[in-house]
Amino acid sequence: MVAIIDYGMGNVASVQKALNFLKIDSCITADFDKIESATHIVLPGVGSFLQGMKNLKESGLADFLTEQVIDKKKKFLGVCLGMQLVAETSEEPYQNSGLGWVKGKVVKIEDTEISIPHMGWNNITVCNDTFYKDLPSKDFYFIHSYHFVPTLPAVIAATVNYGKDYVASIQQDNIFATQFHPEKSQLAGLNVLKSFFNNA
Amino acid sequence: MLKTRIIPILTFNGFGLVKTKKFTNPRMVGNPVQAAKVYNSRGVDELVFVDIFASKQNRKINLKLVGEVVKECYMPVAIGGGIETIKDINDLLKIGADKVVIKTQALTNTNFIKEAVSFFGSQCITIAVDGFKSGESYKIKNDLGIDIDVERFVNTMEECQVGEFIVNSVDNDGMMGGFDIDLINKVKAISKVPVIAAGGGGELKHYSDLFLQTSIGAVASASIFHFTQFTPHDIKVEIGSKGFPVRL
Repeated sequence: MVAIIDYGMGNVASVQKALNFLKIDSCITADFDKIESATHIVLPGVGSFLQGMKNLKESGLADFLTEQVIDKKKKFLGVCLGMQLVAETSEEPYQNSGLGWVKGKVVKIEDTEISIPHMGWNNITVCNDTFYKDLPSKDFYFIHSYHFVPTLPAVIAATVNYGKDYVASIQQDNIFATQFHPEKSQLAGLNVLKSFFNNA
Repeated sequence: MLKTRIIPILTFNGFGLVKTKKFTNPRMVGNPVQAAKVYNSRGVDELVFVDIFASKQNRKINLKLVGEVVKECYMPVAIGGGIETIKDINDLLKIGADKVVIKTQALTNTNFIKEAVSFFGSQCITIAVDGFKSGESYKIKNDLGIDIDVERFVNTMEECQVGEFIVNSVDNDGMMGGFDIDLINKVKAISKVPVIAAGGGGELKHYSDLFLQTSIGAVASASIFHFTQFTPHDIKVEIGSKGFPVRL
């Protein structure tokens, strides 16, 4: 059973729909017992970093998820905001702290030559192919104004070019995360989810 | 490289899909769930679904139906129609919408737009810019008697840090005679966020003209898909042949 964390930051239904399509059992929940008994944890989410962290802290999920993912090494997938929240800090909308599981910071995309948010389908360059084997396409759907800058380049699993290279995916031990939305990226996205849940 | 987005737009009247001409004379064109299913199977880049009568008729969008539409989609979906509160937005996101399209509240209540942006993030808030030519300038069409230039409206929304504009030409809507290049360039010149052009596409050449004569990255269309044999894929092949990045 996969626990999709419900912390009031939207978009949970889409992740479950994709898992249903792949015939992977899941529940949308904030219940500690259910999360404890789950094999995998998914942290989805759209919205602002500050609001997301506030919701995680107020519900006690920040500490509980840290125990599950860092101490008990439960398999973790973060999507979009869910990827950024694992960073140490973010400047959205001002300097504040994240879950701190992966060393690095979240900063605004600053480039006067391009439209921001980075919105639409863009192809990734894979650096660590653990969950990116046999992709039917390298195009994934991105929608973000902030990006993750990890301290250690070794955790970068994929990059995306939008004027410059940005981090599209990270992997560190049992933590895997994508800046793009696999649940919204049709066959390529479903392929990544399938490869994570079947192999992680 | 970021790909050009080709986006079918479904306009809804509370019962079925309709297609207008110059924003009037809605003509029934089918069932929204069926349409979403077809577009998903064709792997379209994104889908826009708007209840164009919700605000006018002072009612909420039908969440059950929107849920059924979104259920068919494994690509991003933007939903609009009668959005007035944070709860309205949250209800749509909860059932799988990725973005919301707002117009009426953007004209009457900029504080609400700011609040929505701070709560859900810029990327979630798309503003509909329905422009019509008035003398030498463009104004925003609305039923509220508000007289506002397109540029002023776009600047105000940029200050609210919205994430995207969908610029629809009222004059060209449903006419299938080509896009209003002038209107789109006017918005593009002052906007720092992504802009979707809409209104007027009827044949493949209109799309290559649009991308050659403007610097936008996305186009939304309805009539060409309802009333001709052309598919989003055909449009991609056309603009791809002109050197623009597409996802085939």
